[in-house]
Amino acid sequence: MIALTQTLILGVLAGAVYALMASGLTLIFGVMRVINIAHGAFAVLAAFLTYSLWSAFGLDPLLAIPFIMVVMFGIGWVVYQGAVRHSRGSHVSMTVLVTFGIALVLEGVMGIIWGNRSASIRTDYTDASVEVGPFFFPQVQLLAAAIAVVVLIALYFLLNKTWLGRAIRAASVNESGALLVGVSVAAVAALTFAIGIATLGAGGAMLGAIQPIVPGTHYQWIARLLAIIVLGGLGSLPGAVIGAMIIGVTEMLATTYVGSAWPVAVPFLIIFIVLIVRPQGIMGARLREDLVS
Amino acid sequence: MAATRATRIAALTAGLSLLVGVSACATDSGGTTDDPIVIGASLPLTGEFSQGGLDTQQGYEVWVEMTNETGGILGRDVEIVIRDDATNQNTVVTNYNNLISVDDVDLLLGSQSSLLNIPASSVAERNEMVFVCPSCGSPDMFNRGFEFIFFSQQAVATDQARVFAEWIAALPEDQRPKTAAYPSLDDPFAGPVVDGAEAILSAAGIETVYKDIYPATTKNFDSIVAAIAASGAEMVVQGAQFEDGVNFVRSMNRAGYEPDILYQSSSPTYGQQYFDGVGEDNTQGVFFSSSYNSVASTPGNAEFVAKYEEMFGGIPPEDAADGFAAGEVLKAAAEAVGGIDDQRALADWIRANEVQTILGTLSWNENGSPKGDFLVGQWQDGSAQIVLPAEAATSETIFRWRGAAFE
Repeated sequence: MIALTQTLILGVLAGAVYALMASGLTLIFGVMRVINIAHGAFAVLAAFLTYSLWSAFGLDPLLAIPFIMVVMFGIGWVVYQGAVRHSRGSHVSMTVLVTFGIALVLEGVMGIIWGNRSASIRTDYTDASVEVGPFFFPQVQLLAAAIAVVVLIALYFLLNKTWLGRAIRAASVNESGALLVGVSVAAVAALTFAIGIATLGAGGAMLGAIQPIVPGTHYQWIARLLAIIVLGGLGSLPGAVIGAMIIGVTEMLATTYVGSAWPVAVPFLIIFIVLIVRPQGIMGARLREDLVS
Repeated sequence: MAATRATRIAALTAGLSLLVGVSACATDSGGTTDDPIVIGASLPLTGEFSQGGLDTQQGYEVWVEMTNETGGILGRDVEIVIRDDATNQNTVVTNYNNLISVDDVDLLLGSQSSLLNIPASSVAERNEMVFVCPSCGSPDMFNRGFEFIFFSQQAVATDQARVFAEWIAALPEDQRPKTAAYPSLDDPFAGPVVDGAEAILSAAGIETVYKDIYPATTKNFDSIVAAIAASGAEMVVQGAQFEDGVNFVRSMNRAGYEPDILYQSSSPTYGQQYFDGVGEDNTQGVFFSSSYNSVASTPGNAEFVAKYEEMFGGIPPEDAADGFAAGEVLKAAAEAVGGIDDQRALADWIRANEVQTILGTLSWNENGSPKGDFLVGQWQDGSAQIVLPAEAATSETIFRWRGAAFE
């Protein structure tokens, strides 16, 4: 029972980090129908920026998060205007190609700037744990989970309590209708992409503190993040959180009770089962096109 | 009219033959005189194994530089063409095909890691070109009946931890661990290292309480470490590449798990990168197997260390030294045979002879696997020392992980 509880604790903490990173991906898809294959590369970029601030100025990753989010917002906006914007309205496969190209460019740029070698951030809390009875809670993941909660709540308020949020939701539900009521969908799309990358910046900053970073590892992240948002329902923020928790917990349970080789396979098995029962994902809405097909 | 056409065809054929002949003569003439010898290699300069790939590239470049400074090979300068395979098994095959058929290289050097060298060596074998690889210790490299493949380190993976395991097995009973855990990366090199150690340790009565293989995508080791801690293992032997080794140590700290003995196969050999990743306190007492010792008095090592420092700064990492040694093997074979055209003669010479390298004296079995033993290293007070065998040791003290010395 202790082992099971410990495994669940580790799974929930891992899921919180996944949720923080996946929230921007689902937001971007929800508004723009863009599958951002570069999302993992943006996360690694944020981790490298955090590493530079830490190694050059000794800035703690936690304190660096606001700055990283601002910088990533700017990078997201520029990348959207320079590349992604041109694929909007195209078939979704075109957005996959464009963002895959962006991922390759980002990987190359990171390789030039930081080299294709591992970089590690080490602070007082990266290797420490909080012990409660027989259980341990890794501090860095506790902090990441806390940041995930703050960022996701902020995102929820942004989407539900602000004019921009209403515009984003309007654009995601009915682009033509949003245009008719005066929403500048093009500007909203750019802002949404930038906000999605900014929230990812917080996750990337913590990623750098959790593990060593190498430019080429972004493929592994995008595979996991796409699985999460498909499971939760493409475009659904609560779905991304639920999907992240399910993936995080099942990865840990599979490792402990099935075998270390299974944490990739078991979550995907669950995704297959869920998608057979609910093709739109746990929280996803069925679209008119789905019903027609 | 027909005769005229035949004449024209004959004239054209003769002309073409002459042209081909002249250009062939030109090539032959250039190829046997002053043209540089072009060596081709593919390395994982990006992707999962870029850490080792970049180190190996540096080793190759130092070898080219030093070889040219001392007259080249057979009086000809050496050039090296290195392609990036991005740690991709398909790309590495494409790269070696292109190196042979497009770049028309004269000689080949291997890629980095067994994962990449297993498919890459098939290309070399098919083209009957000698393939000296600096990092290809998997037994799967040498069970295919290939004749042109040679591993330029001291031992294959199954023997890599042998000296370490035999030392543990020979410890007095009150100091010897009773239980061991064997987590390993799913990799053709890392897995056999662990299997080889387990065979020796199990035979010595050390009970295996955990053994599992994790995929390369594993980033979070918290649950694996929690399971190992729950097993009560007093010793951990991990088959690790780089990042997984660092993440494993971090997870051990988070779980408060501190076995007496920690052995990791490759991760600790990455020098400063490993040191930065796990922190100095956590390096203390970590065992690893090593092909190379930067302060060894092997032939040419002092010059290699000095040239590496001049070109790249710092102490050469193990993979750089391994890359350099692969070049030394190739050069020794070419100079002994007296040419580079007869690749079978080069392979036969390597199989039948010993080569003095900065790693020590290397020799090979019929299948191209090496005959020697690895050194056993241990991180002590922030630097990597050789602790076994005794005659090669740079430190006489051997520590437990973050603990006291063995008596």
